Amino acid sequence: MELCDLPAYELTRLLRQRKISATEILASCLARIETVDGRPGSTEPGEISDEDKQTVHAFITVTDDRARAQAMSVDQKLADGEDPGRLAGVPFTVKDIFCVQGTRTTAASRILANFVAPYTATPVARMEAEGALMLGKVNLDEFTYGSSNESSAFQPCPRNPWNPQCVPGGSSGGSVASVAAGEAALSLGTDTAGSIRQPAAFCGVVGLKPTYGRVSRYGLIAFGSSLDCPGPIARNVTDAAMMLQVIAGPDAHDSTAASVPVEDYLAQLETGVRGLRIGLSPDYFKVTYPDELGEYVQQAVPQEFEAAVRRAADLLAQMGAEIIEDVPMPNTRYGIPAYFVISRVEAASNLHRYDGVKYGHRTVEPVRDLNEMYRKSRAEGFGLQPKLRILMGMYVSAAQYSEQYYQRALRVRTLIRRDFDRVFDPNGKYRLHALLTPTTPTTAFPFGAVYGDSVLMQYADQLTVPANHAGVPGISVPGGIAADGLPIGIQFLAADYQEALLLRIARSYEKASEGESWRQVKPMVLQR
Amino acid sequence: MTEYEAVIGLETHIQLNTTTKIFCSCKADSWFDPPNSNICPVCSGLPGVLPVLNRVVVEKAVLLAAAMHAEIQPESCFDRKNYFYPDLPKGYQISQYDKPLARGGYLDLPLPDGSRRRVRIHKLHIEEDAGKTKNEHGRRLIDFNRCGVPLVEMVTAPDLRSADEAAQYLIRLRQLLRWLGVSEADMEKAHLRCDANVSIRPKGASYLNPKTEIKNVNSIDAVRDAIAKEIERQIREVEAGHLIETWTLEWEEDSGKLRKMRSKETEADYRYFREPDLLTLYVDNAWKNEILESLPELPLERRQRFIEQYGLPDYDADLLTGERSLSDYFEATVKAYGGDPKRVSNWMMNDVLRILNESNRTAAELKLTPEHLAEILKLLDGGTINTSTAKSLLEKSDSSGKAPSVIVAEEGLAKVSDDSAIRRVCEEVLAENPKEVQNYKGGKVTLIGWFVGQVMRKMGGKADPALTRRILEELLR
Amino acid sequence: MSEFIDRSTFDHLVQLAALELTDEQAEYLLRELNNQLKAIRELEAIPLDEDVPATWHGVPYTPQISPALRGDDWQPFERPQDILAQAPQMENGYLIVPDIPHTTLE
Repeated sequence: MELCDLPAYELTRLLRQRKISATEILASCLARIETVDGRPGSTEPGEISDEDKQTVHAFITVTDDRARAQAMSVDQKLADGEDPGRLAGVPFTVKDIFCVQGTRTTAASRILANFVAPYTATPVARMEAEGALMLGKVNLDEFTYGSSNESSAFQPCPRNPWNPQCVPGGSSGGSVASVAAGEAALSLGTDTAGSIRQPAAFCGVVGLKPTYGRVSRYGLIAFGSSLDCPGPIARNVTDAAMMLQVIAGPDAHDSTAASVPVEDYLAQLETGVRGLRIGLSPDYFKVTYPDELGEYVQQAVPQEFEAAVRRAADLLAQMGAEIIEDVPMPNTRYGIPAYFVISRVEAASNLHRYDGVKYGHRTVEPVRDLNEMYRKSRAEGFGLQPKLRILMGMYVSAAQYSEQYYQRALRVRTLIRRDFDRVFDPNGKYRLHALLTPTTPTTAFPFGAVYGDSVLMQYADQLTVPANHAGVPGISVPGGIAADGLPIGIQFLAADYQEALLLRIARSYEKASEGESWRQVKPMVLQR
Repeated sequence: MTEYEAVIGLETHIQLNTTTKIFCSCKADSWFDPPNSNICPVCSGLPGVLPVLNRVVVEKAVLLAAAMHAEIQPESCFDRKNYFYPDLPKGYQISQYDKPLARGGYLDLPLPDGSRRRVRIHKLHIEEDAGKTKNEHGRRLIDFNRCGVPLVEMVTAPDLRSADEAAQYLIRLRQLLRWLGVSEADMEKAHLRCDANVSIRPKGASYLNPKTEIKNVNSIDAVRDAIAKEIERQIREVEAGHLIETWTLEWEEDSGKLRKMRSKETEADYRYFREPDLLTLYVDNAWKNEILESLPELPLERRQRFIEQYGLPDYDADLLTGERSLSDYFEATVKAYGGDPKRVSNWMMNDVLRILNESNRTAAELKLTPEHLAEILKLLDGGTINTSTAKSLLEKSDSSGKAPSVIVAEEGLAKVSDDSAIRRVCEEVLAENPKEVQNYKGGKVTLIGWFVGQVMRKMGGKADPALTRRILEELLR
Repeated sequence: MSEFIDRSTFDHLVQLAALELTDEQAEYLLRELNNQLKAIRELEAIPLDEDVPATWHGVPYTPQISPALRGDDWQPFERPQDILAQAPQMENGYLIVPDIPHTTLE
């Protein structure tokens, strides 16, 4: 097995035993990138060739110089007998929505195409301080607006390593693709409506959305400020736990980073699920949406998805967990409309600062006055998806609509939160430790499939977004391969700050399903 | 002929004198710094930054709210006020909209006729300042140094009734802000900014007419002048049968004129919503009481107390409570002196204030302590020294820091009341100046003062002047 | 309650948002906006009791888990020049932008 395909926990172990060097690890990753990634995304890509369509294109910017310096520093520390850090020698990528000092930080948008960040986001800084090697900034949906990574202004955009004719998911498409393709062991992504968990499901990797406020948002270019969560993406649960250990915790730069002590996520990882109560909810086995008349209709998730979840439940039951059926989560269906409104109000406001005055794109067209400079700069810099969200955000936050739309959405959010409070209440009827659900109602769809058309795709985030509204943590882990050869993800959700519990349950499932045949299948790009 | 009354409300923004800005650790005061040198990712609105609230901003705002008799809210929230302007880097200002730090409040303004005008405020809230822009040859120059400076906003009810009252309100507000130590309140440095809302109505009416807003007034005098001009204009218009429109006017300092502005944001909908990057601000009783322990007796309250307790006239009380350390000094001196407070007041208003003004110091910076000042007065009362010695002792004690009694002893400044010693010097002076003696005896009796002066000179100013004069008169008979 | 956004409302939104659009973009965006209004209508139809409060953060921030406020200590940013290096146009330390339409009338 190539070094770049090893788990992070193996890499650090071998490194500390001086069996491999950080420089060797880095070389392996760079070679893999060379082999499978193709050209990085660019704002002037020209035509997308057939060859382009076979490669992953996870990256916008490869920071090999930075990584090389970091690798040398790690190797030097080891040679000197110093502690090289808890993630020493572990290669990682960073979703290009995080500011990293001295690197181009683009948000996959023309409006920041040449913005070089003067400071580093806290989660990235923490990883680098623990000896991790930063390979580069990876692609995403523009400003994280999307579920397929297609909306990036940097093309070619990332493609699913399992089948490059399909999307990797989004918005953390580049993150999951880079990990799934063995280019890096870890990636730092963000989850606002499922944008870590959904692509993780699409690309057969582990994606964790921590509790809101568990990981500092300082340096994360904001989309939905009350929803955004930075989180780890990895190929296995242990690696995800290792990474969370490093990035979690309060930060003087973030007023919403909670003062909750960071547990030892690795300590209980292998303690199993005996006695734990894990719930299955009928509301998560279907997608519920209103028809033209406003009546709610349902469409069940495809049989394969429910089957994957039930198989996981069986395995967990065999290991001593108690599976509780028919747990009601009645307000799940309201997640999407509430999300539409809340996220767009916050997004429109968060995008106000891109005005061409002090950084980012300023139009070179002649302008009569300041207002024209604003309009042209923003028109040229933003793609259609940001423009759509800005306009929607302006509309629903206008004074005359605010009460009906924005305030109402905030109250609907309360209903969604109450669903979780009820089922996780230790004195309640269900007393669950976790919920087990499918992550998405579909596998990765082909490029150009007009998302927004099919109901399942429009409401695809219905299974992930409630956790963002409620703030609770959720993890998606590989749960099988569908008939179309693409990965199926299953999701665990737990109560506030119960990441240790979540990881422990996910690890149990991972271990119990170790021998399953679908785990032997490799992504297409790695089969060549 | 209708008599009109003016109806005026003031909107004030007060820059707090904290060390750092409201949401980041840059300096709050950068008045003398080169442009765009006092900035960081947070206050320059870089992508990905987050605000972190400065605790001392809250403490100073709470102190001010208490001094304005406002009700401090145990829970208040921050909101985003969204609009585009180049000196607003995030494209929104973090302010407080529907859940401000304090509600209600008032300042009782003493009027010249002895009555008081209660000027109410609706609420008091905290927010961040924007940067500075200046015009130059059809371009705008932007400086972010001031972005994020902490501001308190207070809007009065339309309770003021004249341009003078408006000016008085600002004077009292400035006094209060300096008294509490929450702001330097220097209007010329934009520590205190004011917009005025002005309308008129027939005297005795209780309804409100459309008002105009006056902006860009950068001194208390400018506020007074601008409002006075606007009142005149409105009366003229109404007398001519025109309606007053709700214009925004800009005061032009150089020409002393008001000009109508086309507002920079048309009918702005700020789309206020709760700031998701900040948590609810909790000011519980424990913290509030801790902060209010440093709430001093307020200037107007102290002024009243000086009048009642010390029997001081309004003028004295006003002057002595103009500035906090001066009034503390006065009171300490009165306590140390134990005699007539008016006597202390006179000495302070005449001599001590002069020393302070000349050396540009506050009373707290005087080396002459209240105890020492009291001592000087007691020495004077007891006849140990005369008035001119007393005055010179003020300077001597202030520069050396020594106790007056010590200086008197060291320099032998005690008043000479010894009849024979004075008599001897008087005889000397008369003997040395026969011509003047001649003139005096010839009828120029005013020369007596000159003779006294000569004796004082010879005796180093220590002679008792009254006794000297008596002896001379006797000798010259 | 709007059934749909008409063109003039849309144009006003575009202006408020400091954007400008080609006809093609305007058509697409207006159509998408109106599609997504379905979600808004969905929101309006959700039954809500009077006493359901708004939730601004899903996780309740109790005093125990809320970080303390910041102390008033000056910590200058080490490299303001890195911030200014990102500016499109600077002169003598100032950021330069075109003037704002702001005429004063007598």
